[in-house]
Amino acid sequence: MTELLLQTCVNAVYAASFMALIAVGLMLIFGVMGVVNFAHGELFMLGAYCVVFVYADREFPFFLAVMIGLVFVGGLGILMERALFRPVRDNPLAGLIASIGLLLMLQAAIAMGFGVRMEHLPPPSQATFHLFGLDGVVVALQRLYVIVGAGIVLVSLWLFLRRTRFGWALRACAQDPEAAALQGISINGTARLAMFIAAAMAGVAGALAAPLVRTYPYMGHSVIVTAFIVTIVGGLGSLGGAVVAAILYGFVHTFVTTFSDGVVADIVGLLLMLFVLVLRPTGLLGVRERD
Amino acid sequence: MLAVPVHRILNREPKDACPDGVRDDGNQGEKPMSQNLHQRKIGRRTFLGATVAGAAMAGGLAPARLSAANKTVKIGFLAPLTGPVSAWGLPGLYGCRIWAEQVNAAGGVRIGDDSYNVEFVSYDNEYATDKAKVGASQLVFDEGVKFIMMLGGDTWPGVQRISNESGMLVSTLLPSDLSPDTPNLIAPCEVHPIYNVTGVSWLADNMPELKTAVICAQDDALGRPSVATYLAAFEAHGIQSEDPVFFSLETTDFAPVMTKLLSSNPDILCLDTAYADFVHPLCEQAHQQGFKGKIISCTADYYEQIIEKTSKEFMEGFIFQFPDFDDPALNEPQINFAAPNEFYAEYIERWPDQWSAVSWEYASIMDLWVQGAQRAGSVEPQDVLAGMKQGGTGKHAFGEASWWGKELFGIDNALVGNWPVVVIENGKAVIKEYRSIPDWWSMHGNLLVKHFTEMGEMYHQRG
Amino acid sequence: MQERNGWGYRATLAAVFVGLIVLPHVLSFSQKEVLVFLVINVLVVVSYRLLTLTGEWSLAHMVIVGVGAYASTLLAKRLGIPVPLAMPLGAVVAALTAYVLSFPLFRMKAFYFLIGSFAAGEVIRLCWKRFREPFGGPKGIKLVPSFPDIEIGFVDVSFFDPVNYYYFCLIVVTVSLVLLHRFEHSRIGLTFHAIHWQDKLAEAVGGDTRRYRTLAFVIASFFGGLAGALLAHYLGTVNPNQFDVEAMVYVLVWVIVGGTATIYGPVVGVVTLTVVNEIVLRELGMDQARPLLYGAILIASILFLPDGLESLGPKLKGAFARTRTQV
Repeated sequence: MTELLLQTCVNAVYAASFMALIAVGLMLIFGVMGVVNFAHGELFMLGAYCVVFVYADREFPFFLAVMIGLVFVGGLGILMERALFRPVRDNPLAGLIASIGLLLMLQAAIAMGFGVRMEHLPPPSQATFHLFGLDGVVVALQRLYVIVGAGIVLVSLWLFLRRTRFGWALRACAQDPEAAALQGISINGTARLAMFIAAAMAGVAGALAAPLVRTYPYMGHSVIVTAFIVTIVGGLGSLGGAVVAAILYGFVHTFVTTFSDGVVADIVGLLLMLFVLVLRPTGLLGVRERD
Repeated sequence: MLAVPVHRILNREPKDACPDGVRDDGNQGEKPMSQNLHQRKIGRRTFLGATVAGAAMAGGLAPARLSAANKTVKIGFLAPLTGPVSAWGLPGLYGCRIWAEQVNAAGGVRIGDDSYNVEFVSYDNEYATDKAKVGASQLVFDEGVKFIMMLGGDTWPGVQRISNESGMLVSTLLPSDLSPDTPNLIAPCEVHPIYNVTGVSWLADNMPELKTAVICAQDDALGRPSVATYLAAFEAHGIQSEDPVFFSLETTDFAPVMTKLLSSNPDILCLDTAYADFVHPLCEQAHQQGFKGKIISCTADYYEQIIEKTSKEFMEGFIFQFPDFDDPALNEPQINFAAPNEFYAEYIERWPDQWSAVSWEYASIMDLWVQGAQRAGSVEPQDVLAGMKQGGTGKHAFGEASWWGKELFGIDNALVGNWPVVVIENGKAVIKEYRSIPDWWSMHGNLLVKHFTEMGEMYHQRG
Repeated sequence: MQERNGWGYRATLAAVFVGLIVLPHVLSFSQKEVLVFLVINVLVVVSYRLLTLTGEWSLAHMVIVGVGAYASTLLAKRLGIPVPLAMPLGAVVAALTAYVLSFPLFRMKAFYFLIGSFAAGEVIRLCWKRFREPFGGPKGIKLVPSFPDIEIGFVDVSFFDPVNYYYFCLIVVTVSLVLLHRFEHSRIGLTFHAIHWQDKLAEAVGGDTRRYRTLAFVIASFFGGLAGALLAHYLGTVNPNQFDVEAMVYVLVWVIVGGTATIYGPVVGVVTLTVVNEIVLRELGMDQARPLLYGAILIASILFLPDGLESLGPKLKGAFARTRTQV
């Protein structure tokens, strides 16, 4: 039983790290631009397909593929900001539709380019080790990559936001764009930066997790909904909240899956989120409402 | 991928690119075969085409040379071609295109006094019920097709009334769509999940030391009846089974599911009819979490990739139900699928990495349709249906089979016979033997009914 | 607005009606089927717009449509209630469901409401999947009783024929639209607009905003549920996947691309996009590329017409007026 509990905790930590990478980026886009980016799951998908293209098809090293995924998807984020979100900045609903349009295009483009079947990714590493030397508690190196990757990205993001001028500008915009503009912060520059970071995080999540999840053109679908819930429950404008909500969701969902079943876990996860929102209508660590 | 000649399937008037052999000198149908293919690949294709055309003729199809006077019969393909379920439709349409090219190049199909070229008309139903209804209307009333192939599932109920009122013959890959209210719906290829019993019975005969099992399945129309089947089969062969574990279709991380499954230390891990996309991560997790027993599953598409993700030793003795189409055992005389090895080679040449079970299933349904039409001497849906069921037997891909299903589906519209048991040996899937589903049913049918009833999957329990 | 009583306005309206009556007779069979679903979707989007008037965007509307569909189906199939009666009762159940949901949901606002409504809707949808009795599980309910055929003397009207069902839906939807339109321009409806623009202000002048929000939600859900009932008894089946978030996204797209300032906006949106996606792109034979083009069209329309297709009319009129003055 102890082993089962420990193994479930390991599983939950992985689930939480994975979700945090995606939810924090989503939160950043929302905070700075006020856009609900429905295409965020597709950025995640593109990260995974970078690994398919560079690592599986061209046989370059895995981590090179991850870096390419980061740069490529991040670059696409900058492009999205310029071409889609900036022209409709004052209209969050228009941003939403633009991102839905992009979602459909990306899915169709990848389906036509790579086929609709699941992609094959040979695992970069098959190594596993046993936590505390217990036979029943296994951590796979590939999963550790995601956990460590999420840790590194989130800590550096936190340092970046706290320690640099860009980070200060970003936080200012996320909290109150108009006041930030009055302070002389470039909204365009900040939005571009936020979009790059957020997209790159989704890209890295997709790239690192690609050998672990099923990589197919519609894979974004399965993460986006959870990511939205985690973002909102964490509270808009609060990166910490998104992380806390990701951990909460990761643990609850994993434990219910293990001790009941996956379908019940989905229902319980949603009810929990609804419950949090009823008790705290602006999320766990939310600082403001945005309209 | 875009080079695929979509217009050939969709255009109402056949364009001159249509490879129906009209302008050919009648010699093996080489030139038209390759007309709409990439130029650089012509050499090998032409060779293959000739082989396949020859094989198709040997397989009982009509002789060539009548092509100039051929009529055209339209067949509807109503399945998801875009969206998350498209992997269950699109690869099948590819298979049908190859099938049509081969048949048409060989001079078409001789039915009654006429020769027919076969033209597929596809409609993307996006796996949505309302779009399936619109699609069925278009195919039946606007296009005048004589037969519709569907994936079934969510999309069938939207088509049911049109089929019933117009008498249109429709096929499904999911026999759980069958009920006494579906007289024109047939499940002529894959009688999922009943054939899964063959794998379990083989396992019980050959590995009698394995006594306990756990089952996991996605919670959907494919997973649930399959769970009932495996539970019945385990019970029939004296294998203890834990309560099945269901997971949702949106699951991305299978570690918790596997942790739960392995917590009872089973001898046998049963993956049920998990989609290929789930079989891979499930096997990977089983490997990582140290599972040492045997795995049985309905499918194992791309098993060589699973081996790469786990190990040869781990996957040794993995039992499933879908053979490689380059398996030499498919050339045995009782097999009705024309030239399976060549079909497979042509397919993966044209659409690398897109091969799956549905790639051949829709095409094999067409073989059965041809047989029914030839027996009836007509292409009209009701005549073909009567022709198919004539004598209560039909030529299933894996041998002579009989129409069955009354006890389980309320209607004898499922074609069952032998089904292969496939086992991975030394990294390669091998057909161990063809086991008879009707034989198993005559011995253990009551158990299947019992577990179907408990799972709420009997035809009279389904909404 | 002042043209409302003018002859021109009436003539246009009459012409539109004649057009709608003649329309199915010039279409192919499958296009008639598309037309039926289109008319039902018009009711879905227009009812959704009523809710958005108060400034709240719900992601539960398709699930509410589903509640109407499931309720009407179960009432007709299990309790043997005649379909014409089961349909409005299904709509009432949808409205009641919305009323219950309003208690937790209206504690939230703006994007919290958006996601809260999604979570609530998804819980309902997962319950349909989970509880096979009475909801039928993931496969839903098949063989939903269809609208009874009418036989009076020599006249035999079958509602299997899409043309007849289209006329029936056209009547139901037109009546609903007139009611919704009247309601929007009543005193209560005008308060909705006020709530949208300024919460505090509306409260100060004596409107209890939460009560009005609830009212808008309940009425929108009634008509949404009615649309669901119309759908279920035509399609002959209900299943949870019909009402998933993807379907909801399409509703959002139709409404936003059309525009929400007037009642015509969402109608124009759903008609244009359905015709483009289901007829034009399919006729062009774009099997796999269809979502690609559809996505591009969405982006283009929102970049060039951020206020929706409805803003195209006044814009053209303005441009026309300018050229005239220049001449």
